[in-house]
Parts: sequence; C-alpha cells; structure tokens
Amino acid sequence: MESIVFGIGITALAGALATVAGAAENTESDIGSQGDPNSQVQLAPQMGYIHRIFNKAVAGEPPAYGLWIALGAGIAWAFMAMQINPILAIVLGSGIAVFVQGVYATTAYLGRTASLAKFGQPVYVDILKSMTTVTMAHAFVAIFATVTLCHLINAALGHPFPLPLLGIVWGIALGAAGSATGNPFYGKERQYQNQKFGAGVPIAASGNIVRYAEAGERNSLDNGWFSAKLGGPASGVCFGLIVFLELWRTVLFEEIGAGWGAIIIGIIIILVFTVIDRYIEVWARKNYGPYTKPAEEASS
Amino acid sequence: MTVKVEKIEGGIPHTTIMIAGLIASLVFLYLTYANVIMGTEYFAFFGGLATVAALIWGSHTIKHLCSYGIGTGVPSAGMIAFGSGVIAMLFATKYGIAAPIVAVVLAAVIGLILGYLANNVLNMRIPVMIQSLVEMAIIGALVLMGYAAMMTGSFELTSLTTGNVQILGLSLPSYQASFLGGALIATAFMLGAIAIQHPFNACLGPNWTQDRMLMLAAECGFLSMITAAIMSMPLISMSAALVSLFVAIIGWYYTYAKYIELSKRDAAAWLESKPIPDVEGH
Repeated sequence: MESIVFGIGITALAGALATVAGAAENTESDIGSQGDPNSQVQLAPQMGYIHRIFNKAVAGEPPAYGLWIALGAGIAWAFMAMQINPILAIVLGSGIAVFVQGVYATTAYLGRTASLAKFGQPVYVDILKSMTTVTMAHAFVAIFATVTLCHLINAALGHPFPLPLLGIVWGIALGAAGSATGNPFYGKERQYQNQKFGAGVPIAASGNIVRYAEAGERNSLDNGWFSAKLGGPASGVCFGLIVFLELWRTVLFEEIGAGWGAIIIGIIIILVFTVIDRYIEVWARKNYGPYTKPAEEASS
Repeated sequence: MTVKVEKIEGGIPHTTIMIAGLIASLVFLYLTYANVIMGTEYFAFFGGLATVAALIWGSHTIKHLCSYGIGTGVPSAGMIAFGSGVIAMLFATKYGIAAPIVAVVLAAVIGLILGYLANNVLNMRIPVMIQSLVEMAIIGALVLMGYAAMMTGSFELTSLTTGNVQILGLSLPSYQASFLGGALIATAFMLGAIAIQHPFNACLGPNWTQDRMLMLAAECGFLSMITAAIMSMPLISMSAALVSLFVAIIGWYYTYAKYIELSKRDAAAWLESKPIPDVEGH
C-alpha cells in the first residue's frame, strides 16, 4: 500500500513537471516559428512580404526535442555516473543541451534568411540576439522539467530504461504534444488575424502573414506573448495528461494479470478520450461552423 | 518519375565529396585504434573527427537527394540514415579491427535493400534514391561508430558494453555504466541524426550555396563532438576526454565564426534594429 501511495505521489509530481514542460516547449517553438507555422514564415518573403519574425527551423518539433531531451539526459547520466549529485547533474545537462539548442537556432535563422537573399529578406541581428536568448530560456525550462521527470521515472519508479533512452522517448512525446496541440494557436490563428475567422487560408493569402503589431512591427516575442496565453497551457495540459495517465495506469494496475491490467486500462483510457474528442468536435461544429457560403441577397 | 527541381551549380562535385568523406572518416576511425596499440585513450578524439568528415559528406548527400523536391523529408532523411546505420554498426563491432570496413559493407547492403523497397515497391522512382540511401546508411554507421570510439576509446563490442562503477573506492566493471548499457547510443543517434539533416534544412532556398552549407555541416559536427566529449568523461580517462573537448571547441569556434562570415556574404542585408524595408509592389 505504501509503495502505491509513493508511486501516486511521484506520478502527480511527474505530471506537474510535464505540464510546465509542455507550456514552455510550445512557447519556445512558437517564438522560433518551428513546426507547421514555419512554412508560412518561410514563404512570406517569397510572396513579397518581408517580415521581422524569427525563423529557426531546426527540424520538426518531435525530432528537435528528441535531441534536446536525449542530450540533456545523456549528459546528466554521464555526470551522475561520475558521482555528481542528480540535481546538479540535471541542471548541468540541461544547460549544455540549451547551449546546443541556441547554436542550432542561430545557424537555422542565418541559413534560412541568407538563402532568401533573392527576395530581399535581410538578416536582422537584433532579432537574432533577442529571440534566441528567449527561446533558450524557455527551452531550459522544458528540458530541465522533462529530464527531471525521466529521472523520477527511472530512479523513483524503477523503470528499467536508462536515462538517455527515456529522454529520447519522452522528448519525442513532448515535441509531438506541443506540435499537435499548441501550433494551431499560432499557425492557424495568430499568423492570419487579418483573415476572416474560420475561413482557412486561401491560396491568394498564402504568405500574407500579419507583420505589424499593436505598436510598430510584429516580432516573435509578440507571438510568444500570444501563444503563452492559450497555446502553451493547452500543450502543457496535453503533455501533463499523457505523462500522468501513463504513469498512473502503470503504478496502479501493473500488478493485475501480470501486466495485462495496465494494458487494458490503457485501452479503456484511449476509448474514453475518443468519445470525449468526438463529443467536443460535434459540439464545436454545431456552434461555430462549418464555414458556410454567405446567404444570397433577397433582391437578386 | 520525379522531376529534379533544384540543380547543383559549380562547387565541388558530389562524387569528390563522397570519396573524400568516406576515406577521411575511415582513416580517422582507424587512427583511434592507436589507443589499443599504444594502450592509452588519448586518440579517442579521432572518432569525433571521423563523425565530422562523415557528416559533411552526409549533408551533401541529403542535398543531392532532396534536390528532387522532397521538401518536408529533410529531417526524416537523417532518421533513416541512422536507423539503418545503427544495425550495421552494432553488428560490425563484433569484428574487432575489421569493424569499420564490415560496417561500411553491411550498411551498403542494408541501404541497397531500403533503396530498392523505396523505389520499386513503394514506387517513389527517384533516380538517386538507391545510391543516396546506400550512402546514408554508410554515413549513419560511420558516425555512430565514431561516437562510440570517441566515448569509449575503441570501436569493439567489449569496450562498448563495459564501463566502470566506483564503489567505496573500488572500480568494478559494470554493464549499466557503459555506452550501450547506459543507452548513450540513443543520445549519439539523435546527435548525429539532427546534425546530418540540419545543414541542408537550414540553408535550403533559392540562394543556397555549397560552401556555406558544408561549413555549417562541419559546425554541427564539432558542436555534437563537444557534447560527446562531455559524455565520454565517465567512460574514458578525464585527461583524454579533455583533449577531445579541447579539439571540439577549437573546431566549433572556427567553423561557427566562418559560417557567420559566409552568411553575412550571402545575406541580402545585415541590419541592426531596422524597420521592414519597402519592397516594390507592397
């Protein structure tokens, strides 16, 4: 009984860490225009819309976060193998992983922008300096929280995988959660505030992203501010639920039927979420859409 | 058949880069064998240099393959290189001194099978697909072997599966604290897979230039080498790890500074806190 209570406590802590990680991850990737919003940021100068938005395409979010977390975990593992205190090891590992992330971000921005020279897109050094540091700060929070939750899974819950392997698995999961949940707030909404809500992006509007802010010209910090409000927390809840429910079912039901209990509960959770998702989708369609043709004029 | 949308103009031809990359990477891998001969670990950093050589070649292979309009497939090309390479690399480590050669041959066979499946079964029909996948598998195997040699001092299976644990001042051999047992190979996999796809992914566009992309490839290689040197600290002696770290930092700093210089050369303008310039028609 005591071990189950302990396990649930660790599960709750890991879920809370995952929520923080998800929120930070999505804000980081949105400031860098990573993931699917990137295609429009990349396209805009080619359509004549020169912008001051940060464009750091390292890879899709899942592979990129697979690297950052696996790297943080690998270095933390190495320091722990050298008998360094785990908390210090994780901080050092995350710090070095963030250094790598920052260097990748600068080279991605410089490379992409220099390759668009034909269309007159300049390299803005102030954008490079101010955005990279902000993405690094958010990435540190995401990497530190995720490596810590991997360490909890490994050391407190006794998961057989070593830390770097857990890092690669949960890193890809973190990137996927942020990419799937948070990006629409930026890519589908924020970039196209000048289009009618729910209209989608017609071909003619491709690349015509919003480039001017409430005051002055919009940069990616404005986008970070926007996505920290809705996209970040949504990604956080998504990744937090993934981690929490995954550990919860393992801690409580693994003993039943030699492990089959946890698998059956996992399938039940998926079914429950399918029903919830379907309900929300139908409800949203009924209330907000589908986007219909404007009503015909009575006189014509 | 897919139409070639971008062409490589001027610069070093792909075949030259391929041959140079293969030879350099094999030579550097064999130089790590000096560790075994001389009984030290100071030559481990040659493993890192082998990865840099292979990654430069790999980034150009991706450019070669992706010039057939495979835009979103750039990061996945890195993943398939290492996914196919890891099998060849792990199997080859059993062959002692012949390991790098066995890895190249085995990876070529795996790449050939994958290329055949992609082109003839999945009907992708990309002319350079088979050759590129063969190259990618070889590069994946060589890069992983380079990291293994750098972190453990040798590319043989025994050194990959044994580490040391200090218990009360006693040094005990342990599988848990080794390159494979501690799953450092997972980190090496991601380090290489992102580093191989990043140069082309970051430099793609109408004003792509070869020297800038290859410089970025070297930069990514040395950056990954810095972190690999840190991860080698518990597996090889501290002084040998510091030698690797020193070489990696010098290489990284030089290539990073050069890359920024080349970006400055190619960029339309290099502005500090300036507004959006007026472009005709908007």
